[in-house]
Amino acid sequence: MSVHALTSHVVHRFSGRLGFLGLTLIYALLVAACLGTLAREDELSLGRHPLANLVKTVGEFAHPSFLDVWFGNPNLEYKSDDGSVLRVENRPEVEADYLAGLGRATWTTIRIATLGSLLGALLALPLAVLTARNLAAPKPLAWLAKGVLDIARSIHTLVFGLVLVGIVGLGPTAGILAIGLHSMGTYGKLFAEAIESLDRAAIDAVRSVGATPDQVFFNAVWPAVLPQFVSSHLYVWEFNIRDSTILGLIGAGGLGLLITEATSLFQWGRLSTVLIVIVLMVSAFDALSRRIRQALS
Amino acid sequence: MNEMAISLAQVCCVADGRALLDVEALSIRHGERVAIVGHNGAGKSTLLRLLTGFMPAAHGRVDVLGRDLSGSPSARELRALRSEVGQIHQGLHLVGRLSAQENVLIGSLGRVTGWRSWVRYFPANEVARAAAALHAVGLLARATTRADKLSGGERQKVAIARLLVQQPKLILADEPTAALDPAAAGEVCHRLAQAARQATLISVVHNPSLLPLLADRVIGLKSGRIAFDLPLAAVDDQKLSHLYRPDDAAPAGPWQVPEAAGALCFREGTTRLKNGSYQQAALEEKP
Repeated sequence: MSVHALTSHVVHRFSGRLGFLGLTLIYALLVAACLGTLAREDELSLGRHPLANLVKTVGEFAHPSFLDVWFGNPNLEYKSDDGSVLRVENRPEVEADYLAGLGRATWTTIRIATLGSLLGALLALPLAVLTARNLAAPKPLAWLAKGVLDIARSIHTLVFGLVLVGIVGLGPTAGILAIGLHSMGTYGKLFAEAIESLDRAAIDAVRSVGATPDQVFFNAVWPAVLPQFVSSHLYVWEFNIRDSTILGLIGAGGLGLLITEATSLFQWGRLSTVLIVIVLMVSAFDALSRRIRQALS
Repeated sequence: MNEMAISLAQVCCVADGRALLDVEALSIRHGERVAIVGHNGAGKSTLLRLLTGFMPAAHGRVDVLGRDLSGSPSARELRALRSEVGQIHQGLHLVGRLSAQENVLIGSLGRVTGWRSWVRYFPANEVARAAAALHAVGLLARATTRADKLSGGERQKVAIARLLVQQPKLILADEPTAALDPAAAGEVCHRLAQAARQATLISVVHNPSLLPLLADRVIGLKSGRIAFDLPLAAVDDQKLSHLYRPDDAAPAGPWQVPEAAGALCFREGTTRLKNGSYQQAALEEKP
């Protein structure tokens, strides 16, 4: 409460054109301070051969590994310095195997995101009902629920993941729980807002014909709240599809595992393949969920 | 059966330490068409809310359609009453996300119960009734349009169609034409009067030119009290303008509330009353 009063006081101080100028000045000073201190600590260097490294990395990125399935050398010979053949590799076969693994990892990521989102939504629903101001739940319960949601929202999925890997071990379970716990906070906020924006007039309209509470719920509350719930669910789900690709970094399985593998072996071609798959998957889900959400509004 | 649709005796409604409504006596017979006029805050909407149990009476006797509302009626009793009372309110009073036809079918919720009403799977006869009602208000072509896509006039006509399906004994219309242009207001009032042929109609009206469409009897409210109660023919511009004049002394009349009753009404505790008579307290109430 006092924080709110303080901020509103400060904001009030800075109203008007002169105030905006002052705010801009403060912002510019902050940026300058960040840049200046970093420069003084000599932390702004770009490394030794930035340009050469950039060209090399971009070159490897421009040749994603999956192209080798069709264009790779079936008898790629790895030779030692004296010219003796160490190993012969069938590139198309190797990369086809990698693609199959990539497919399985993508499926794992989708499973983590889907189940994690559902878990988050289910956990959030009762908490949202408790926090929605217009439903006037008992104060201590409302505060408790709001606290749980705020904590869940402010702890990053990765942090939840790291803790959960320690508890339930490596694998998708940790990912699902991490996604569920973090997105519970987001869901709770969105659901509570959906409930708070309920149209009183619609409820009164149904109540005024003598409808029973269950009839009021199904004919006025449900039609108003359901599309918003579905819409927020799709939105967070879509976000989690993106989020869960990173979870493999901490051993929760899925695409992130392949990203760690590719980066630690400096296989930029393979990383490029993984990123292409992620971009395709995310934009496909994005387009689909946007269509559905538009149809619901 | 009681021939009175509504009878009030020494009714007082209080909210936030203010007397919103103070009625010595009011009776309305079955089938009467009554208009209520008065300035904003005169207690018109409070009176309508009192009649449907949305506003409790601080004291006094309230009888609506033979049901006594003065005690604290159970939720079941209130629902039974509300299923017999049709209401049209100012502005939006539809479920925006449901179609026009589904909104009309809400009028049948008193008769359709259980899971059918949850999934809005209404019996064929109710659906036919809803279609007929939409046809009667000239909106059959818009039956599947969502209510929040309809114009203001169309919404009020959907609400009237809902009344036709509900078949109430008493219809309460709270400024049904508030947001409409004159042509639409005239049409809505016409449809409403048609829908109310079998029922008692009580409407709150601001526009005097609509009075003849909706009422044979006009009740003027001022500062929560009845200023006049006359047949339509006896109401003239002078009476109406007197009613809307802001800080006039409360008109003396047979419905003047005796101070004793006023004090009783204010026993809930207003500080105003301590310094002056009830008369002054009532006058302080700003429109």
